[in-house]
Amino acid sequence: MTELETLRALVDAACASLERSRRRIDDLNVYPVPDGDTGTNLLLTARGVADALAHSEAGDRQALAQEVTRAALLSARGNSGVILSQIVRGAAEALADADAIDSRAVAHAFRAASDAAYAAVREPVEGTILTVARELADEADAQQDAAIAELFAAVVRRGDEAVARTTEQLDVLRQAGVVDAGAAGLLELVRGIAASLAGEELPPPPSAEELAPEAVHQAQSRFRYCTTFVVEGEGLDADALERELERLGDSLMVVGDPSALKAHVHTDDPDAALALGAAVGTVERVEVADMRAQTEEREARLTSVEPAARCGVVAVSAGAGNRRLFESLGAARIVQGGQTMNPPTAELLAALEATNADEAVLLPNNANVILAAEQAAQLAERPVEVVPTRSLQAGLAALIAFNPERSAAENASEMFGAAETIVAGEVATASRDATIAGVAVRRDEFLGLAGGRVVAAGPVFGEVGRAVAEALLAEPRDVLTLVTGEGAPSLDGLLDELAERHPELEIEVHEGGQPHYPLLLSAE
Amino acid sequence: MNLDAENTAIVVDSTADFPDAPERFPNWRVVPLYVRFGDESFRDYVELAPEAFYERLRAGGQTPATSQPTPADFLAVYEELAGYERILSIHIAGRLSGTIESARTAAQLLGGERVRTIDSGSASAAIALLGLAVQRRLEEGTTDEEVDRLVERYRRDAGLLFTLETFEYLVRGGRVGRARGWAGELLHIKPILTIEDGEVIPVKRVRGNRKAFLEFGSAFEAETHDGPRLRVGIAHADAPEKAEALRELVGRTRPGAEIELVTSLGPVVGAHAGPGTVGFFWFEDEESRGAS
Repeated sequence: MTELETLRALVDAACASLERSRRRIDDLNVYPVPDGDTGTNLLLTARGVADALAHSEAGDRQALAQEVTRAALLSARGNSGVILSQIVRGAAEALADADAIDSRAVAHAFRAASDAAYAAVREPVEGTILTVARELADEADAQQDAAIAELFAAVVRRGDEAVARTTEQLDVLRQAGVVDAGAAGLLELVRGIAASLAGEELPPPPSAEELAPEAVHQAQSRFRYCTTFVVEGEGLDADALERELERLGDSLMVVGDPSALKAHVHTDDPDAALALGAAVGTVERVEVADMRAQTEEREARLTSVEPAARCGVVAVSAGAGNRRLFESLGAARIVQGGQTMNPPTAELLAALEATNADEAVLLPNNANVILAAEQAAQLAERPVEVVPTRSLQAGLAALIAFNPERSAAENASEMFGAAETIVAGEVATASRDATIAGVAVRRDEFLGLAGGRVVAAGPVFGEVGRAVAEALLAEPRDVLTLVTGEGAPSLDGLLDELAERHPELEIEVHEGGQPHYPLLLSAE
Repeated sequence: MNLDAENTAIVVDSTADFPDAPERFPNWRVVPLYVRFGDESFRDYVELAPEAFYERLRAGGQTPATSQPTPADFLAVYEELAGYERILSIHIAGRLSGTIESARTAAQLLGGERVRTIDSGSASAAIALLGLAVQRRLEEGTTDEEVDRLVERYRRDAGLLFTLETFEYLVRGGRVGRARGWAGELLHIKPILTIEDGEVIPVKRVRGNRKAFLEFGSAFEAETHDGPRLRVGIAHADAPEKAEALRELVGRTRPGAEIELVTSLGPVVGAHAGPGTVGFFWFEDEESRGAS
């Protein structure tokens, strides 16, 4: 095997290994709300490398290292994905410079990977992917005289211990009783490589049906209609329905149990897809979206309005209503994403490059997107400033201070100041039972946070919402903004109560449509 | 030629929002624009006072439209000023209104050099403050050249900030300029705007009136020095409490400044800015000239 072929096999093994644990890692979030999807982010980042290798025609190790580094950068999603992309860069550069790929070179690559990971984070925190990257490098150093496969076996053993220890290293992890998701993901990648080197079998990678619908949507489809529906019946066969649907389109997903299946397909013939469902059961909750019309509409809107400006804004946001809000306030491009769907660096970069302005400001609007945003800003060909907004609410406040006639740097400083003047809170739906900071919440109940702190939990939406609002209004404020999410309960009682208790307060409600958070709040 | 208040007249249009100028200065005249509700046409201020206009606007119904004075309107006023050797005709920016074109046409019909038209580059109290600065020079004796230099400096240095309740009126009248798309769907956004060379320019957006006033205050303090050279104008559209708040702001931050004008926005400017608009104008004149 050539070095390229060996590398392909190893990276594929790494991806396959992570794939098996992706769900488990996604669930390792601190709050019981979908929060970052670390497993998915790491996997999509690693797959970016695998795809690049599959098509690589690099003639030498240096060229290959460059291709791998760039692929990892561009496919990086979420903070963990960005750190992984730096780990890949560190390792690739070290291996490219090595005379021969031996244990010494591998140990050196582990160290370079760890150093690059630490350098990517402004304030490194122990008990995370960084700690485990460093411990892997320590172990590799100690194993320099062993054969490569043995080195990796020892590194994986050490990694298992290091990942287990993360629970005790970070308070938030200890409270939630989980290990760090990024650390766990990194170890699974290394485990895959170790198994491949040792000639051990890994289970075959699961098919695309296990990818979340959001991830399926990332890919551009050549089909026109995004079609989803639920089939109810008896003895339903997911595989059989999937095989039938496969002939009609792509981006296929059929999940569920014999009594109910959820199907998702991109097709040019939604009626035929629905007929396949109707043949085996009762079809319900049908949604058909014309993706081409949506794309065209948006393109038309974006290209017709804006003459070249000095500065443009790219914002990350989820939900149709929020997209409209951001666009109406002057954002030139919206990248779909947020809490459960961290956009890859490449998508942020593409949005920046498509912005008709000399310079740009990027609003990540989520703590997990900030690093990818900074990476995209560095890769962009025009000056780009990232205003590190950690919530949609902060992003809106920042965007209000945007002025297209000023430079990106001037805007960034004004916008950062504006984002700092608000306090943000949210009401989330819990996805599992948990106790956070002494507050117990059950699955499907509401969890209220103000300024990142849990302030209430319970089954009554209005009560949790009121507790969050009152926490935000502890100091006198002028305006309270409420942004409702997908399927949010009615706000009527809550609004009346707030208006009564705070007669001077201006209250404003918008339909945002974001998932997972029935309500986002901000006070300024 | 030496210009003074005896031989030189000042003509402004009604968008200067300085209706009592002729009462204060015998050498001043105001030429009204027109505001129309459907088939009904009114001469700005003369046939429709601001109070009645805003009452009508609040009552809903027809949307007001405006039109510039005719050249004949200007000609009539210029002819009435036959006793003056020079007429300085100072107007709303040519990019906001065709008013100055009518004035120029009238001046050409008269022939000669007697009427000089001046584009203020701005609107409302900015025209009045410029006229008052010219008047101070006339009262001490001045020249065309000195007036030219003043106008140039005024257009460069005079300050103006205004905020709107809604962009609706500016957009409807086609005067939104580079502030197009600046409003957004969020309510309670107060856009802070200025006018440069007759174009509406966005300065900043904030939320809530309180923050808008804070912005007015910090821009005013950053760009001015206290003292009698500092001249201030305030204009409001049916929002006297906002005008009063600005007057207090000036008294607190620049107690030495002279507030030359606190006025309503007249029907014509009000039709384009909308109720609730408040404008804040200032100019630091070169030296302390006799109070007007």
